[in-house]
Amino acid sequence: MYLPDIQLHEADTLEAAAALMEQLGPRAEYVAGGTDLLVDLKTARTEADHLISITNIDQARQLTADSEGLTIGSLVPVGRLNETPLSGTWAAIHDATQVMAAPAIRNMATVGGNLASAVPCADLPPILMVLGGGVDLWSRTGVRRIPVCEFFTGPRTTVRRHDEILLSIHVPPPANRSGASYERFALREGNSIAVASVAARIRLDDAGMMQEAALAIGAVAPTPLLLENIPAILAGRAPNETAWADAADAAVAAADPISDIRGSAEFRRELTGVLTARALRLATERIGGDST
Amino acid sequence: MTTARAFNINGQNHIAVVEAHDTLLDVLRDKIHLTGTKRGCDVGDCGACTVLLDGQPVNACLTLAGTVGERRITTIEGLAEDGVLTPLQRSFVEEGGIQCGFCTPGMALAATALIERNADPSDDDIKESLSGNMCRCTGYSGILRSVKRCGNYRSDGTCAKHDHHDGDAPEKSPDNDTVGVSIPRVDAADKVTGRAQYTADIFLPNMAYGKLLGSPLAHGLIKRIDTSKAEALPGVLAVLTGKDVTDTKHGVSPARYDEDVLAKEKVRHVGDPVAAVAAIDERTAERAVSLIEVEYEELPAVLDPMSAIADGAPLVNDRFERNINTHVEQVFGDIEAGFAESHLIREEVFTGNHIYQCPMEPHASISTWDPDGTLVLYTSTQVPHYVQYMMAHVLNIPLGRIRVIRPTVGGGFGGKAATSPLEINSALLSQKIGRPVKMVYTREEMFQYGRGRHKQHMRFKLGVDRDGKIKAFKSEIHLDGGAYSSFGVATAYYAGSMIPTLYHLPAYQYDGYRVMTNKPACGAMRGHGVPQPRFAFECLLGMVADELGIDPVEIRERNAMDPETITVNDLDIGSCEYRATLREVKERSGWAEKYGKLPPGKGIGIGCGGFVSGAGYCIYRGQVQLSHEKGREPFQKKSIFPHANAVVKITEDGTAAVLMIGAAEIGQGSDTVLVQMCAESLGIPASRIRMRSGDSDISPIDLGAYSSRITLMGGHAVSRAGTAVVDAMRPYAADLLDCNEDDIEARDAKMFVRDHPSRCVAWEEVARKYFNENGPLVGTGSYKPPDGLGGDYKGATVGTSPAYSFGSAVCEVTVDLETGKVKIDTFTDYHDCGRAINPKTVHGQVEGAVIMGASETIMEDVMFDEQGKLLNPNLHGYLMMTIKDAPDIFSGIVDSYEPRGPFGAKEIGEGSTLPVLGAVAHAIANATGVWITDLPITPEKIRRAMRAKAATAEDVPAMAT
Repeated sequence: MYLPDIQLHEADTLEAAAALMEQLGPRAEYVAGGTDLLVDLKTARTEADHLISITNIDQARQLTADSEGLTIGSLVPVGRLNETPLSGTWAAIHDATQVMAAPAIRNMATVGGNLASAVPCADLPPILMVLGGGVDLWSRTGVRRIPVCEFFTGPRTTVRRHDEILLSIHVPPPANRSGASYERFALREGNSIAVASVAARIRLDDAGMMQEAALAIGAVAPTPLLLENIPAILAGRAPNETAWADAADAAVAAADPISDIRGSAEFRRELTGVLTARALRLATERIGGDST
Repeated sequence: MTTARAFNINGQNHIAVVEAHDTLLDVLRDKIHLTGTKRGCDVGDCGACTVLLDGQPVNACLTLAGTVGERRITTIEGLAEDGVLTPLQRSFVEEGGIQCGFCTPGMALAATALIERNADPSDDDIKESLSGNMCRCTGYSGILRSVKRCGNYRSDGTCAKHDHHDGDAPEKSPDNDTVGVSIPRVDAADKVTGRAQYTADIFLPNMAYGKLLGSPLAHGLIKRIDTSKAEALPGVLAVLTGKDVTDTKHGVSPARYDEDVLAKEKVRHVGDPVAAVAAIDERTAERAVSLIEVEYEELPAVLDPMSAIADGAPLVNDRFERNINTHVEQVFGDIEAGFAESHLIREEVFTGNHIYQCPMEPHASISTWDPDGTLVLYTSTQVPHYVQYMMAHVLNIPLGRIRVIRPTVGGGFGGKAATSPLEINSALLSQKIGRPVKMVYTREEMFQYGRGRHKQHMRFKLGVDRDGKIKAFKSEIHLDGGAYSSFGVATAYYAGSMIPTLYHLPAYQYDGYRVMTNKPACGAMRGHGVPQPRFAFECLLGMVADELGIDPVEIRERNAMDPETITVNDLDIGSCEYRATLREVKERSGWAEKYGKLPPGKGIGIGCGGFVSGAGYCIYRGQVQLSHEKGREPFQKKSIFPHANAVVKITEDGTAAVLMIGAAEIGQGSDTVLVQMCAESLGIPASRIRMRSGDSDISPIDLGAYSSRITLMGGHAVSRAGTAVVDAMRPYAADLLDCNEDDIEARDAKMFVRDHPSRCVAWEEVARKYFNENGPLVGTGSYKPPDGLGGDYKGATVGTSPAYSFGSAVCEVTVDLETGKVKIDTFTDYHDCGRAINPKTVHGQVEGAVIMGASETIMEDVMFDEQGKLLNPNLHGYLMMTIKDAPDIFSGIVDSYEPRGPFGAKEIGEGSTLPVLGAVAHAIANATGVWITDLPITPEKIRRAMRAKAATAEDVPAMAT
C-alpha cells in the first residue's frame, strides 16, 4: 500500500509555510505527525497533490506553563505532552493523552493534528473544552483565538481557513478548589478508539457547592461538544449522585450519535450517561487533593 | 520529485534515491533491503514496522522518508553488536518471546526504547510500551516474560542468573537438550536479529511485481473488461484476465474444485480476483490495477445462510441447489430413546462470528521459472505439498516440475492452508513475462481473500438424566461458507464429528448444512470447524448444570471421556487424561472457593475441549501424481502413501546432521521439536542438527502444518530416520567396541555398549568410519496413519486421528456492569498433550491459543454491510487483543503418554484453543447473570441482555419455586 503521487515541500517558518500554501493552492495540505493524513492518503479517503511539512517550525513546538496559562504548540507530539508533568486541572489532559493510540503513534502524532483533523472521536477536544481551552490560528494577517468549543463545524471540518496554521493551544490557569477528568469507553485496552467519551470540570465554593461546572462529550455527536446547559443544571448544587444523574440525563439528551461498527447509537447514549457520572465523580474526587 | 538523501541507519550512512511519496518503510525495505523491518498493515495498526528515531519508537509506515533528516534510525539489524545479541534479544530467545517472529523486530525495538529509559520496568510499563505492537502467536506472555527478565542476561550474551521456567513437566539434566527439554527455538536468533527471511523479504534479480484486481461487488456478471489504460501505463509488463487463463478450477476438497484462477463470467464476493497485473514495481502494479475498467451487471447477493437456503434465493454457484454446498446427516445410537429417557432436555440457539486468522505476515508468493521448465515458487504457506499438488493441477504439469520453497512464515492458523491466488497468478505472470514475479497481499486483501472461521448458526438440544449424565444430543448447524467450497466440506463434518470425543454420548444426531453466500470463502482456522460448536456445547452443559444444581466441573467429570474408548461415531480414543485436566484446573484455580461466591461483576467459568493429533487421511485420495492423470481412486480406508517423510544426512566428518523433512514451520515451533526428536533417536545433541524443512527439492514431502499433525506424524518420520542412521552405524561401532551389534546404544554423542557406558567411542568417529567405507551416511523414515481408522458411514474419515488431545480451562473475569466491558483477568489451563517434547513450546502454544480464543470470544468479528462489502478489513476495525488486554495465563501439562505418538507425544496447537471460548462465556455469565449465546460477547450485547433481564424481573414478580 503506497502513497499516491505527491510533491513534498518543507517550511521552517510560518511565513514560508503560508507562502507555499498560497502558491500551491487548494490541493496542498500541511503535514506534521502524519499519523492521520498519511493513512487517509493511502486509503484514498483524502486526496492531495502537495504536502507541506511544517514539522520544523520552532514557533509551534513550544510547551510552556506560567501564570498566563498553558501553551501547547501545535507541533508538540502527544507523547511529549503525555510525559510533561502538568499541575492542577491541567493534569486531566493526561487522561486523554495516555489512552490515545499507542506509544509509537503518540511519538509522531501532534497535539495540533488531533484537533485540526476534527475526527469526532478525538481524545483531546473534550478535555480542552472543559478546561476553557482556545486555539490560536495564525495567518499572515495575524493570530485569532477561537475557543476549542467553537473550533469544530462538523466531522473533519473546522473553522480553520486553508491559509491558516494552527499555531498553539492555550489553556487558562487552573482555578482553586477545582478538579477535572476525562473518561472514555473503548472496545479494547490498547491502541483503541473512543466509542464514547466525556470530560468534566468542577469548581467548588467555600461551602462545598458547585460554583462552576463544565461537561463535554466526544464520539457521540458530529463534533466534540461542550454542553451549554450544564452550568445551569449543576451550579449551586451539592456534588452528589443526584446531581450527576441530572447531568447524565442532559448529556444523553445532547448526544446525537451514529451507529457504526463500534457500537449502536443506543449503546453510545447509554455510555454517555455512565461516563458523565463517572467523569463528574472523578473530577470531584480530585478537588483539593493531589489531582495528578 | 526524486532526490538522493542520506540516512543515518544503525550508525552507518546510507544514500538512497527517494521519491516524495516514499515512507521510511518503503526506503528501508525496498531501496536499502534492510528487511528486518516488517510491513504488516501499512497504516500504523500493527507495529511490525516499528523503528527507533533518535531512540524513540515510531511506525516507519507513517513516516515520510523526506522528513527524517539527520535523525538516527535504529532498525532490528542495528541492535546486536558484532553479532552478539543484546541482553534483551537473548531474553527473547531464552524466555519464549518468539514464535513466528514477524512481530519480533518491532517488539524488540519498542522494548529496547523502554529498557533504555527504565531499566526495571513494571508489568504495566511494559504493557503500555508494547501496546501498539500486535502479536498473534505468543499471547504476549512470552514477550512480557522476555522484557521482564532481560536484566538476567549479560551483554556478552550469557545468562547472569536463571529463573527456572514455571512449567511443570519433568526436565532432564541441563546438558541434555533432546526430548522433554525446553530448548530455545532453533530459529530464534535469526528472528530476533532480522536475519530470518520471509517471502516478501526476498528480492530476486530482475524481479517484477504483481497485483490483483478484486471485484467491488459481492455478486455480479462481468460484461466487459478494458485493460488498455493499464497496459499503456509505463512500467506495466503484463495484464491477465479470465479469458487469458486456464478453465481448470481449483480448490481444496477434490469433489468441489470451484474457484477460477481469475473470474470467468461471474464474481461471487467482494475481492474475488478479476485481473492480474505485472509491473516493474509494486506501486506501478497497484496503479495499473486501478486503471482496469470492468463493467458488471450487479446480481442480488445472499449474505446469510438462512436466507440463502430459502426457495428462490439467488444462487452463488449454479452447482449447488438452494446454495447448499454440503449436507451432513448423521445419527448414532437411538436418539429418540435417549431423549425419551432424559430427565431434563434443554434446547438453545447459538450463533458464531466471522473470525479471521490475521497472521501478522501477509500472504506473499514469488514465482520464477527455471530454463528447463521447472516452476520455482517461494511462498508463505502452511502446506507446501498441497500447494505443489494444486499448482500441478492448475498448470497441468507434473509435480516433479514444481519446486516449492517455504521461506520463514509469519503465522498461519489455517489462513495459509490452501493454494492462494497469489501462488497461481504469480506463476502465470512470471511465465508470461519471463521474469520472477512477487505478489504480496495488503491487509485489506487478506480479509477479502478470507478463509477464516466459518460463522455457524447452531441449534443444540441436550438431554440428561437426574445426575446430569448425557442421554442424547442433537445438533443442527448452518455454516456460513462464503462464495467457494475451500475446506468447507471438511469443516461441516468436523463441526459434528469432534463433539463426541470429550464426553460419552450414547446417542447423537448431527444435521449440518454448509451454505454458500456472497462473502469471502471461509476455510480452516485453528480448531477447524469445532471451536464454535464446542463453545455452544460447553455453554449448554453449563446451563444444564445450573438447572440441575450440579457443579459445572462435576457434570463434566460425570460425563468425561475415558481412555481406550471407541466413541459413538467410531473415533478411536487412545490415551485420555481429560479427568486429570479437570482435577488440576479445579484445584489450581481455587474453583471451590470461588464458584457461586464471587461478588457481582466478578465471574469464573470453565470450558473444555480437545482435538485430533493429525488427520487420519490425506485431503486428496490416491497417490502423489498429477490429480487428473487418473480418476479418483475408490476409498480404501487406509493411507496410500506416507504422510510424513524424513531424511537425515550425516556430514562426512560426522559432527553434524542435516534433517530434511517438508513439515512446515510457520511459527508453531515444529522445526525445534522435530530436531529434538531426531536428536534423541540419533543420540546426539540437538545443537548438532541443522533443519532443512523449507525446500521441496531438498526435503521429502510432508502434508504440512494443519490438523495439528506435525509433532505426531513428523515426529515419527524424523525419529525413524534417526534410528535408521544408528542402525547403519551399528556394525561399525560394534567393530570398534568389540561387541554385538544389538548391544550398541547411542546417546550424548557417544556410542557405547549397553550397560557399560565407559566402553564407548565418539559418535562422529563411527560416522566417519561408515563414510570412509561406505559413502554417504543417510537414514530415512516415514509415517503412515494406522489403517482402518474410522467407521463405515459417509464422512467417517473426518475426525479420525491416531490420537486425541484433551484440555480444560478456567477463566476469571471482571465485568463493568454499567458498560458491559469485560476484562479477562486470569486463565488456568491444563492440557493432556501426551508427553511434551518441549514444554516451553507447549506453553507458548497454549498462551497463544488462550489469547486468540479469548479475543475471538469477546471482540473479533468481520462485519459486512448490506451489499456484502467488508466494513472492517483492517486491524483498527477488526479488533484483536493487545498486550494490555491479555490476561495472566497459567499453562500446565498433565502426565500422559500416548502409545501411538513418538515418545508418547500428541498435539497441542489447536486443542488448546477449544476450551477457551466456553470458559470465557461461562465466566461472563457467572459475573453478569446473563448467558450471551451470540459471539462475540461484546459489551453492548451484555448490556442489552442485562437490561432485558432487569425488565423481565420488574414485569414478573419473583415467584417462589
